[in-house]
Amino acid sequence: MAEGGEEESEVFEITDFTTASEWERFVARIEEVINEWKLANLAPGPPLRKLDQMPVTNSISREYHSVPVFVQTQQKWRRMYVGVCEGGGLRTNYDMVHLKRIPQQYNHLAGLLDVFKSKIACPLPALPPVTVSVRFTYILSDWTQSAWTQEPPDFDIPYGGNVGGAEFGKLPFGALEDPVSELHLSTTWPCLSEEMIVDNSVYSDLDPIQAPQWSVRVRMTDNPQCLLGDYLSEFVKICHSLESTDQLLGGLMLDDDEKDPSRDVSAALQRLTEPSPLPLPTISDVVSNMKTRTKFRRKEAPIGGELLNMILQFLFPDAALEGATPTEKPSKEQGGEKQDTAEYKETYRQYKSSPEGSLMYQLAMCMCVVNTNHGGLRAVAHLWQEFVLEMRYRWENNYSIPGLPEGSPDMSACLLLQKLQMLNCCIQRKTAREARMKEAAKQQASAAAAVPEKPVRGSSSDGWEVEDSDEEFFECETELEMETDENIASNSDADSAQNNTSPKGKVASNSEPSNNRTNMHKSESAMSFKDTVVFQPEGRLKQCGDLCLLDSSEPLYIPITQEPGPMTEDMLEQHAEVLAKLGTSAEGAHLRARMQSACLLSDMEAFKAANPGCKLEDFVRWYSPRDWIEEALTDETGQRVLKGELSPRMRIPGNMWCEVWESARPVPARKQKRLFDDTKEAEKVLHFLAALRPAQVALHLMPMLIHAAILRVEEEGETTPPALATMLAQIQSRASKVLRAPNMDAQKCEDLMELVRQVTLVETVIARARSLRAKFNTEKAGSEDGVRELERFVSSLLEQPEVTVIGAGRGPAGTVIHKLFATAQKAAHSYDDSDHSPSEHSAELDSCPDFPKPAGREYILRTTVPRPCPVSRPCPQRMFCTLIKEDFRLAGAFTSDTTFM
Amino acid sequence: MDDDVLTTLKILIIGESGVGKSSLLLRFTDDTFDPEIAATIGVDFKVKTLTVDGNKAKLAIWDTAGQERFRTLTPSYYRGAQGVILVYDVSSRNSFNRLEQWLSELETFSTKQDIVKMLVGNKIDKDKKEVDRNEGLKFARKHQMLFIEASAKTREGVQCAFEELVEKIIQTPGLWESDSQPKGVSLTDTGSAAVNSCAGYCSLV
Repeated sequence: MAEGGEEESEVFEITDFTTASEWERFVARIEEVINEWKLANLAPGPPLRKLDQMPVTNSISREYHSVPVFVQTQQKWRRMYVGVCEGGGLRTNYDMVHLKRIPQQYNHLAGLLDVFKSKIACPLPALPPVTVSVRFTYILSDWTQSAWTQEPPDFDIPYGGNVGGAEFGKLPFGALEDPVSELHLSTTWPCLSEEMIVDNSVYSDLDPIQAPQWSVRVRMTDNPQCLLGDYLSEFVKICHSLESTDQLLGGLMLDDDEKDPSRDVSAALQRLTEPSPLPLPTISDVVSNMKTRTKFRRKEAPIGGELLNMILQFLFPDAALEGATPTEKPSKEQGGEKQDTAEYKETYRQYKSSPEGSLMYQLAMCMCVVNTNHGGLRAVAHLWQEFVLEMRYRWENNYSIPGLPEGSPDMSACLLLQKLQMLNCCIQRKTAREARMKEAAKQQASAAAAVPEKPVRGSSSDGWEVEDSDEEFFECETELEMETDENIASNSDADSAQNNTSPKGKVASNSEPSNNRTNMHKSESAMSFKDTVVFQPEGRLKQCGDLCLLDSSEPLYIPITQEPGPMTEDMLEQHAEVLAKLGTSAEGAHLRARMQSACLLSDMEAFKAANPGCKLEDFVRWYSPRDWIEEALTDETGQRVLKGELSPRMRIPGNMWCEVWESARPVPARKQKRLFDDTKEAEKVLHFLAALRPAQVALHLMPMLIHAAILRVEEEGETTPPALATMLAQIQSRASKVLRAPNMDAQKCEDLMELVRQVTLVETVIARARSLRAKFNTEKAGSEDGVRELERFVSSLLEQPEVTVIGAGRGPAGTVIHKLFATAQKAAHSYDDSDHSPSEHSAELDSCPDFPKPAGREYILRTTVPRPCPVSRPCPQRMFCTLIKEDFRLAGAFTSDTTFM
Repeated sequence: MDDDVLTTLKILIIGESGVGKSSLLLRFTDDTFDPEIAATIGVDFKVKTLTVDGNKAKLAIWDTAGQERFRTLTPSYYRGAQGVILVYDVSSRNSFNRLEQWLSELETFSTKQDIVKMLVGNKIDKDKKEVDRNEGLKFARKHQMLFIEASAKTREGVQCAFEELVEKIIQTPGLWESDSQPKGVSLTDTGSAAVNSCAGYCSLV
């Protein structure tokens, strides 16, 4: 425009656009657009003159050669355009006709040719032959013979009848309606001479089966209902809820409590504080307990009794009521099978989920199913409550929890799994402790009159009784001393760790008499080390190589030691926070070391008990061998001897190691205070579980659910097109990111929903592939090549908008398509003619064409004719015709030579 | 936390007892050397802010005890670490021989999948050398680690080791972003994250 403006200013003194008409502004705008599109330089023309009433097409084409320009006319929906293109001495006029009905006389090629020819108005005596391209499109929407095969799952039978609970272990999958709605077959004759074919009102040569080119498009159902996606999104939805279990089940519980007070939560606490009845319940006890564990009024409970029993039996197969003894089963049974393979481990770590098939994994799937089928959030709350009750029951009765990976909490798994692993650790320790007690009690009873095995401090005679009521200690003779260490010992309890920040330093403060304990201390330290020789060695594990004590020829023994307590990630976080809060000063570091010295102290005491007469040097040689520095020396007699000493850092006066060593008394591990208080930790876990709102439970279970969904999709999608692999990989990496992020807020729910949407999409794609495969019956194609071709064809249909049918009507895919249409045709005719007599009927069927009337017909007519006069150059002429039911459209491009106009 | 701190990174220091883990850390944080530093009990903790490529990162460094018995306790602290410094003593063949075990333990207990690992051969000031630099290099290459030899006593290589580790962590996509406080700062926006796809070892000296 700037250019034009300059030029203009040369012609006129003043450039005044104030009176520019709408028309001028329109032209200016068009120029602008052409400039923007960088088309202007294609054909620089003369500068724009003052506009007159010339048609826009003329004024523009004069300037911008070879750029076709179109203007839309009429109502927008009619998509009518007129246009022009001028250049190289030729002008093409574009013009359109649009009618709502197809005029009878133009409903075939013959009529259209008439229009074409009359529009060309050929100046020659004989018009050159017209080339015709034809494309007929047929629509198939009646899939009579290949109806959608997926049966909607019967929600009642698998989950409510006698079928085993195994059904809970699988998420549902698949579309409930046919995800493929229509097939559009286009048959094309790309290049025919008008003389070769007949297509008029009474007869047509254009038989689709004979068409040289076939291509197919499929139309998919919009958002077909898919089971997996539905179940998942229903479950994500409940993550937003704020209701508590009490709010959801409140009335229910109250009613229940009246009937059976033993199920009351407060009663549970009471039971805890009561002296425990029998250390181990009898089997009949357990069985009856299992049966009466829940007494919801059937009608009001979201999950019916029978169903609930099934779910619980599915989750806890070791609690089968009849037959097998309900004792501990190896917990590997479900969770442990594949546990060894690295890849397997990686998968659940990737999503911070739980091992496939583990209790948490199964619970997540059960929750998802009960949420959708048995009452939503209330059902989730109900099942969770039952689950927590079962956890408490197992803790109280020493039954380990099945289906969990063994060992300490796995911090790469989800928090719930860690909590249950923690509970299992507690149960195992409690069981072992009680077994030891029982054993010891038996021994004591049998050796009632025998010599007391504990020498020196004789305060232990009543140890057993005390122990029953106070589980803090293995054996109580060390009670007083141990109290001191309580503050240091809590390697898992943040609160007491904080207490410790006030420098009580009781281990170090032996010499300061401050309470009733000091007397004992004094007398003990007065006894000093040598006295320990009078102890019988206790708690030896094995010899430590061929090492001997430095001060005697006694072999050096590795003691039996206590294992420090396991931690879950939230505990660790708390603990680490406390440690970090101590700061980076020297005092901070000192306190930190002290807080963590419980384990060292315990080991030192065990070591002393196992090695009477030992000293710190001995301990270091076992515990930190690199701090024992040996040098080969030659002594005065000329013999080479090894001389060892503690490393400089161990010799620093008052360093923590010496300090703790001084305070350590010879106590075997089994008589030490527990480093890990299983009672307290178990109660903490149970409280954590019980305090979760159902929505929080759902959120905690999401990693397993998404994990399961991804595995399900992988399993179902094995044979689907490669594009799916990309989608799956995207979901996996996204899931890994979302599920491992530590946040538990609204954003998380959003992210989860988005994940679910992606999973649903993949599910839909798989369902489409299945549907198409079923329709094309890929498996039953005759030859191997045929199978391969059909498979390829189906994959292409999923990935491309339009797919060419190789071999057209005679290829393997074409044959199937032909059959599909023919079957649908027969079915349609048999409906229509149902009132005819049978004989007539069959005759009709025989005569019925294999293909319906085409839903759309397109023709392109082309020729080259000199216009406007016989001596003009021959110019291309073209007309495109679309004939659809309610849309008749002709679009012509007629070119004439402008040279001699 | 300073406003301009891009992220807080958790770094671990592991290795056999007495190889100089605490000394390396003390050299890095306080630029001092204390020959009489007590053997660590459990884990210790130090903080330092470091600027690498214009990005300020706060480092929470967890120093661990190397004794066998503490290994029931310390691995809990591996959780969530983005970087780990595995230390051996070049004057102790044995400390080098145990590296594989440390790595497998790290493998078991670390929760980040692409934790950045650096191998440091400490105490190169000592005359007695039992582990050749090439052996360290070879080990690092085999396990896709960064490698440097250093001396906490002479400060040689110490600063460099930490800087290189942090740089690598920041360059590793997805390793630290999700854990940092949401601040809307993305490295890719500043254009400074020329993501280095080279996963091999890098020699610094």
